[in-house]
Amino acid sequence: MLEIQNVTKVFGGILALTGVSLKVGEGSFVGLIGPNGSGKTTLFNVVSGAFPPSKGNVIFNGQAISGMPPNHICRQGIARTFQIPQPIKSLTVAENVMLGTIFGSQQIGTACGLDRAREEALQWLDFVGLKLDPESYPDRMTAGDLRKLEMARAIATRPKVLLADEVLSGLNRDELKDASGILQKARDELGLTIIWVEHVMHVLMKLVERVVVLNYGMLIADGDPASVSKDERVIEAYLGRH
Amino acid sequence: MVEQIIMALLNGILLGGVLALLAFGLNLIFGVVKIIHMAYGQFVMLGFYFIYFFYTAWHIPLLLSMAMGIVAMGLIGILVQLVIINPLLKAPRLNQLLALASLIIVVENLAQVIWGADYRGIPLTMPIIQFGEIFIRSSFLIAFIGAILTLGLLYLFLNRTYLGLGIRAVAQDLEMAKGVGINPNVIYYLTQATGGALTGLVAAFFIPIYTVHPHFGASFTLMAFVIVVFGGMGNLLGGFASAFIIGIATSVTAVLSSKEIADILALVLFIGMMMIRPQGLFGTES
Repeated sequence: MLEIQNVTKVFGGILALTGVSLKVGEGSFVGLIGPNGSGKTTLFNVVSGAFPPSKGNVIFNGQAISGMPPNHICRQGIARTFQIPQPIKSLTVAENVMLGTIFGSQQIGTACGLDRAREEALQWLDFVGLKLDPESYPDRMTAGDLRKLEMARAIATRPKVLLADEVLSGLNRDELKDASGILQKARDELGLTIIWVEHVMHVLMKLVERVVVLNYGMLIADGDPASVSKDERVIEAYLGRH
Repeated sequence: MVEQIIMALLNGILLGGVLALLAFGLNLIFGVVKIIHMAYGQFVMLGFYFIYFFYTAWHIPLLLSMAMGIVAMGLIGILVQLVIINPLLKAPRLNQLLALASLIIVVENLAQVIWGADYRGIPLTMPIIQFGEIFIRSSFLIAFIGAILTLGLLYLFLNRTYLGLGIRAVAQDLEMAKGVGINPNVIYYLTQATGGALTGLVAAFFIPIYTVHPHFGASFTLMAFVIVVFGGMGNLLGGFASAFIIGIATSVTAVLSSKEIADILALVLFIGMMMIRPQGLFGTES
């Protein structure tokens, strides 16, 4: 359903992505890994429309989406979470999620008022297990709760594909379990296709069914977790030549 | 003397309400579109002329002329976004400032060409309300009540409607807002239309109070700018509070000394704030 075709992204003279091609089928759960600076977030930025690719195409459900603005791509059904969760601090927890319900792919609340959107937003807060007062302001939240809010907002846009960018970074052991559990649940219960960038390898490898590895902006491995973790080039990329 | 000061105080509060409305528009545009609308006061002048024109040239009833003036200024707001700001959204801030500052020259000279340099106004006699020794002009009172009601409606709009949520999201985090599917262009146009319509509304409130001339807007641009920066740029509550502080301070000073000293005082207050709290009264340091 999502096809990345030969995507190259150049910043100044630096090749952030070099001819990356990737096909992701509906309902799959893909881990995207690679050392720092290997181009994972750049790839997310290209797919979500933060910037267009220098070369290549992104095809979603048979339609070329590369070059479209991010709000358009979100409405087509591709949502993302950001590496550093960024709630709107002057909006309540519920209102933050309502942004997703209202402006996402379903546009709930644009015609029938905010009550319906609020109801729906509360359901997503429940879905991610965020047990805060929905009418409180997100200025003093724990890292784990911020992640949950971030994921609730992304899922509230009712995407078909979720790009999860390092949802585990900075979390403690219990929070790790919660956050990764939300991705699993989103896949299993909502049928979302998930591409997940992560550095916390031991959690990722247990959950995903396929791992794609980037190094220096190039795709160097693609397969099931067991075989990728044994791949020579992947070990070399992470540990250096020995 | 005491009555005079009380009257000045009341007039300051009443005028502060209208200034708060003007500051709100300038603040909203700055907060959402991230540009400083240098010609905001000149738009009040333009709105004034529109209403004057509809009323005197087309003989449209005054209230309807005012409504048309508000709509016309809303459309002008959209036009400004389309023609001036959209092409400069990614330009350096200085270019944006210069473009909007040049709009002052364009608008003022356009007014001079169309309506001439004479003072124009719609003669209206509004009753004066008396409480003992205190006299209040009903035109001030109407403007104040209208401004406060409008601010209340704007508050509800920003907090209770989905477009309001969208405006607040774009104001705070554009990237995130786009990420949840908000089209920033729609929000920009909406903000400019609202900001423009507010200048039309302020002009309507000013009709029974002032006469208009091509340079009528300059003092209001300065006043709105002083109020907004004094309260903290982009901070709507700060703008509201400082509109009354500046309004009362200038009005009382004008009675105690002169109008010129009052203007000086406003700027002294402003400079003092910049020296003590550069982020403004309610602003947060960044």
